[in-house]
Amino acid sequence: MKLNIKTLLLGATLLSSATSCSLLEVDALKEPNNPTLESVLKDATRTQISQLGNGMMLVMRTGYADMASISGSVGREIVIFAKTDNRYYTELQGLTAIDAGGIMLPWYNSYNQTRRRAELVARSAANTGALSAEEKAAVKGAARTVQAYVMLNCLNMSGETGIRTTFSDLQSPGDLLKPGKFVSYAEGLAYIKQLIDEGDAELSKAGSAAFPFPMASGWAGFNTPANMKKVNRAIAARVAMYQKDWAGMNTALAASFLDLKGGLATGPMFNYSTTAGDAVNPFFKPKDESNTPWAAQKDLVKDAEAGDTRIFGASRSEGGVAKIRKRAASVTLGGFPVSDFESQIAGTNVSPMSIIRNEELILMKAEADIQTGKLADAEAELDIIRTANGLAKIATAKPKVSGDKDALITELLNQRRYSLFMEGHRWFDMRRYNLLSKLPLDLPAHKIWDKFPKQQNEIDWDSNNPL
Amino acid sequence: MIGFCGRLVAQDKLVTGKVTDSKDGSGLPGVNVSVKGTSKGTTTDATGAYKLNAPATGTLVFSSVGFSSKNVAIGNKSEISLALDEDVSNLEEVVVTGLASSIKRSNNGNAVGRLDAKDLMGTTSPQTLDGAMSGKLAGANIRQNSGAPGGGISIQLRGPSSILGSSEPLYVIDGVIMNNSQFNTGAGTASFNGAVSNANTGSQDQGANRISDLNPNDIESMDILKGPSAAAVYGTRANAGVIVITTKRGKAGRTSIRLSQDIGQSSAINLLPSSNWDEAKIKLYGGYYGVDEKTALETFRAANGKTVDYDKEVFGNIGAVSNTNLTITGGNDKTRFFVSGGINSETGIVKNTGFGRRTIRANVDQKISKNVDFSVSTSYINSNSSRSFLGNDNNGVSLGYSIAYLPNFLDLRKRADGTYPESPGTGQNPFEVIDRMENKDEVNRFLASSNWNFLLMNNESSSLRLTARGGLDYLLQEPRVYAPEDVQYQALRALPGSSRYAYNKAFNTYLQSALTYTWKIGSVDLATQAVYQQDNTLRAESWIQGDGLLPGQRNPSTAAKVLTFSENKPEAVKAYDFNQEFNWGDKIIARIGVRNDRTTLVGDVSKWFTYPRANAAINLHKFDFFKSEAISQLKVRAAFGQTGGYPSFGDIYSLLVGVNYGGKLGSVSPTSVGNPGITPERAQELEYGVDLGLFKNKITLEATYYDKTLKDFLYPFPLSNSTGATQINVYPAGDMSNKGLEIGLNIQAVKNSKITWSTGLQYWYNRSNVDRLAVAPSFVASSGFGNFGRSRIQQGYSPTLLWGRDATGKSPLPIKEGQPDFQLSWKNNVTFGNFDFSMLLHWQQGGYNSSLNRELKDEAGTTFDWSEAATAADGSATVKGLSSRLFGNPGYATEDFLFSTTYVRLREVALNYTIPKASLTKIFGDAVQGVRIGVSGQNLVNVSDYFKYNYDPEASNFGNRPIGGNIDLTPFPSSKKVFFKVVLDF
Repeated sequence: MKLNIKTLLLGATLLSSATSCSLLEVDALKEPNNPTLESVLKDATRTQISQLGNGMMLVMRTGYADMASISGSVGREIVIFAKTDNRYYTELQGLTAIDAGGIMLPWYNSYNQTRRRAELVARSAANTGALSAEEKAAVKGAARTVQAYVMLNCLNMSGETGIRTTFSDLQSPGDLLKPGKFVSYAEGLAYIKQLIDEGDAELSKAGSAAFPFPMASGWAGFNTPANMKKVNRAIAARVAMYQKDWAGMNTALAASFLDLKGGLATGPMFNYSTTAGDAVNPFFKPKDESNTPWAAQKDLVKDAEAGDTRIFGASRSEGGVAKIRKRAASVTLGGFPVSDFESQIAGTNVSPMSIIRNEELILMKAEADIQTGKLADAEAELDIIRTANGLAKIATAKPKVSGDKDALITELLNQRRYSLFMEGHRWFDMRRYNLLSKLPLDLPAHKIWDKFPKQQNEIDWDSNNPL
Repeated sequence: MIGFCGRLVAQDKLVTGKVTDSKDGSGLPGVNVSVKGTSKGTTTDATGAYKLNAPATGTLVFSSVGFSSKNVAIGNKSEISLALDEDVSNLEEVVVTGLASSIKRSNNGNAVGRLDAKDLMGTTSPQTLDGAMSGKLAGANIRQNSGAPGGGISIQLRGPSSILGSSEPLYVIDGVIMNNSQFNTGAGTASFNGAVSNANTGSQDQGANRISDLNPNDIESMDILKGPSAAAVYGTRANAGVIVITTKRGKAGRTSIRLSQDIGQSSAINLLPSSNWDEAKIKLYGGYYGVDEKTALETFRAANGKTVDYDKEVFGNIGAVSNTNLTITGGNDKTRFFVSGGINSETGIVKNTGFGRRTIRANVDQKISKNVDFSVSTSYINSNSSRSFLGNDNNGVSLGYSIAYLPNFLDLRKRADGTYPESPGTGQNPFEVIDRMENKDEVNRFLASSNWNFLLMNNESSSLRLTARGGLDYLLQEPRVYAPEDVQYQALRALPGSSRYAYNKAFNTYLQSALTYTWKIGSVDLATQAVYQQDNTLRAESWIQGDGLLPGQRNPSTAAKVLTFSENKPEAVKAYDFNQEFNWGDKIIARIGVRNDRTTLVGDVSKWFTYPRANAAINLHKFDFFKSEAISQLKVRAAFGQTGGYPSFGDIYSLLVGVNYGGKLGSVSPTSVGNPGITPERAQELEYGVDLGLFKNKITLEATYYDKTLKDFLYPFPLSNSTGATQINVYPAGDMSNKGLEIGLNIQAVKNSKITWSTGLQYWYNRSNVDRLAVAPSFVASSGFGNFGRSRIQQGYSPTLLWGRDATGKSPLPIKEGQPDFQLSWKNNVTFGNFDFSMLLHWQQGGYNSSLNRELKDEAGTTFDWSEAATAADGSATVKGLSSRLFGNPGYATEDFLFSTTYVRLREVALNYTIPKASLTKIFGDAVQGVRIGVSGQNLVNVSDYFKYNYDPEASNFGNRPIGGNIDLTPFPSSKKVFFKVVLDF
């Protein structure tokens, strides 16, 4: 065999100059775009904890607008006339079954995701030497409070379909594959009570430590562990209300920021902004929105008492306080009655939204008092709400209601309807008093749902992973 | 200096001659003339003449693409002239089989599809490769994502070969991997048509994939390695098959110049009619869409019977198409060159849409010495497109979506004063979108490759060759999407006006070297080959978007709210490959090989992934025992191979998501969990076939059956959503199979001095099934719109089935199959005198699309048959005028929204006339060598029930995806084209 030496040399030179030095090695890539989760689960720095905590406070709001608008539709506060997707009014108004694999359950994922995210923040805090024991308790307390808040919303949406109360983390391999079984509504409430109480205990342990993460301006007045306890108790009062634990509700309210003489708007709020990485307020709807208007259900205005500043007068987007506004042109779709009003619950696209506020606490106090027989106290508390919203006291406007427990409950639900419009209460209020059948129907073929179906994803999971 | 070559030279003698075309006796340039069994050879010049030093004991082999080769023993002859016959069977053509190997088709153990320049561009003049390939390739399911000028296609070879990853074949051009990304433009994001609800993802942007940058006119041939048995040499990237493109190269001889010009026009294939209205209908409907009865009646009365045909106003533009191509080729025995320039331009059936492309290509081949030669291929491409807004929508912007809702008595046309009436129902005037909003992009791209051959050793019975190849592909796409602050839907927003500048970059580099040793054991020829290959890919996408623009301002960086995004996706693969070929006198040919890959896309970068292959062909007609006059070829073949499919970039990581709250940085954990232990999915294919040639190959039949199994296909592991994580990014979730049949029949029906007629049939089908599933069955993300029909992965079912509910509400149920039952295409070519007629008819039988087109119109009462009495899906007759077909009506069923995509389409038809040489000489002397003129058409005849309620059965809202392509939602309607063509040869 004879080789063409010159050719060989030429070829070899060319090749070696073009080929990289390591012929067969491939260098592992460090992900160039984002930090990895694993980098914070152990030995996180204070900066990392600070960012995780801030992220947790952000995702507390995730799903709220979906939950409020979807429950608001089922609870006949509004109708979502989505021009490009009739499922928003055919499914929610009960013309056709809610598609378990469809688009009406975005809140379910949002809330479960926030629960897991808060859990990972608490674990990161627990697994680092960068925080003091008090700070670790502060993070855990905030995490449990966030978890209880979102899971209560989630459970109320699910109703008797229930939720899963055990969930996994990344610590034990395979645990993500064992999500536990669905529990009933009552069991779900018990689980949430346990979460909120644990949060309270942890916040107590934090003592005078500050949160090792920033608290946005919406938490002004509630941005230390000691102050957040008052928010924690306000949420605990909500849990007790759904449990019909009137004594527990009173106890929780006493430890909350309830103030019968205070401003109704007092309370922590979600912030929104136009900054990249943040979001604008999804409740904000431009005036005369034509694409996906949130039309006020037609009875909302009809049923309102004259002079109610929550309904009549300049709307929030027009510099006033009313939560709805008369449209320049009315809207209707698919044979619905014409709707002249639209939700203006947010004044601008960066208006903060209340998480829980004094107005609701006063209404809860009134309910606890009605249910425990303190009818006069209840009437006084309802009058605080009425007079603050431009209405005469009960004794003047509705003298027959005074001293009548059932009538007071009706009045309470009515005040809750207007005070807490589009804040995710109406449907649940009517459900817990077995009054769903009293909600108005826009068309005879409509019906009122009492719960959301189990997500197709969960049905699939259970059928494939029988317990 | 190198003395050992002298011995061979001494025995040689000079042989000369001329090679002619048996059809007309004209000289054939570029014919390879070689001495059998050696590397000695030359090519004929422009007149067909050749000169060659060859040994008297040798045999000369004359071969040329498109002609049957001939062997002539030299003996004492010093002049050998002969005529070559046109090869109707294509058995002689050499097909690519590997990284650095090729084989004569008649010896190939695989079914490799081949489209040459004549197939692609011989009949009509498609602007982009997709149009050039449709209906021509057995085993391929080709689908148009958008009818917008500039293409956007999805090609599936032998069924879906992935569920998550890409099912698009790997494109290799002149030996180098070419990028075929479909980049996001942002047109489908929240600030524009709102198909997706955030600013980030672009799966519904409906951009073109970048193979459309290639000028089809530069392509000499495409070899399509359809399944793993043929594509195994490309290893981890080849699950979806490989398309190997070879560009045209220069021919030795006279420098020839060809100028071709097409002028044509395009118009919509099908527009949808719109119902007429009267007062009774307005009252029945309760107004019109989004508008109450009183206002609707006022509008109706004011219109006074005048109507607007929105489909015609929006999609009725007549587009102008122009293709100009100039090629110059020539060279001598040392240097050959091919230089081409092309200018393509097209305007669409929607005003202000269009596609333009300018390409320059220079391909040079140079022989440095007897033992060293190299070639260089370079191409620069500049392309641009303007596509307006189509498809899914949540803002009232997309044209088809929007006009489906407009009653014809409402006149939204631009007013004389230049303003646009507001659309009260949809929220956006479509004419304002066409005139004032923009969805454009520009691409600059450079492709270069070089190939070096070193003949290290060569003697009578063996040779050793080193080939080295390197190349790069750099492209920068710059989409610009713009919605002025005062268009109707923007004016209402909190931050009116949106502008997005995107920069999408792709940079591929490729390097390969191969050592090939050919040797003999007795009468068996052997070729042993070792190949090393490495490639690197970087995809970088970034964009800046501004919401809240000052009047007339476009620069996003000065907007009220600025959003930015940047992401880099680097990938690297290193591989080596061994190949062994055995050839016993062209009777039995066998090849085995194995490839080993390492990649950055898996968690363990040190792990080698091995992909074996083997195939064999037996040419029965070459054996002595086989004597048949009628049967000129009978080959049986079998092939086996494995390929891989990567996880996507990033699948191995669990990434924190950066957020901003209260003006401070934050981070949140992901809802999709990484899987660092993931390995590539693997496809394995067994292919059997028989190739039959009858009556001197006047009739050829090629039949192939394949059984392709995708093992451990990558799929998200759907977690219970209650865990707060939706999925593990990728998981080896199961096995999926594709089985199918491909039959090609070609007949040279008539051939005499006056007329030739050849005809060909191709028939193919594919059946898919999920054979094993290790995870919970689940809907494929973004594969459809809920119960309108979507895909679901469930064991025992085809992955392309469309699932939904029945009339009783039972769900999820499998309803209809998305893939066609079969496809059949029929091509004909007739030459009579100087006329040349050709046509291609394509029939697709079966297959269903989930289509929302009729639903949108039913919702708005604009369907042409809305007022006719209809029967509900549950059998109950309904009131005339209230469409029973509406989604959400009691008793509605998913089947109501599934439409059969059976169609018959005259893809191409052309009549060309070649002006006789004698007439030319009379007028131009020798200045003009040839003139051809012709007329042609694309998609001129289209027959399908689908057209009744929809624009086109070939539609895909979600772009290129293996599963979930069967969704039709008011796409850019496809068009038919007519061309007039002139070709001048100088």
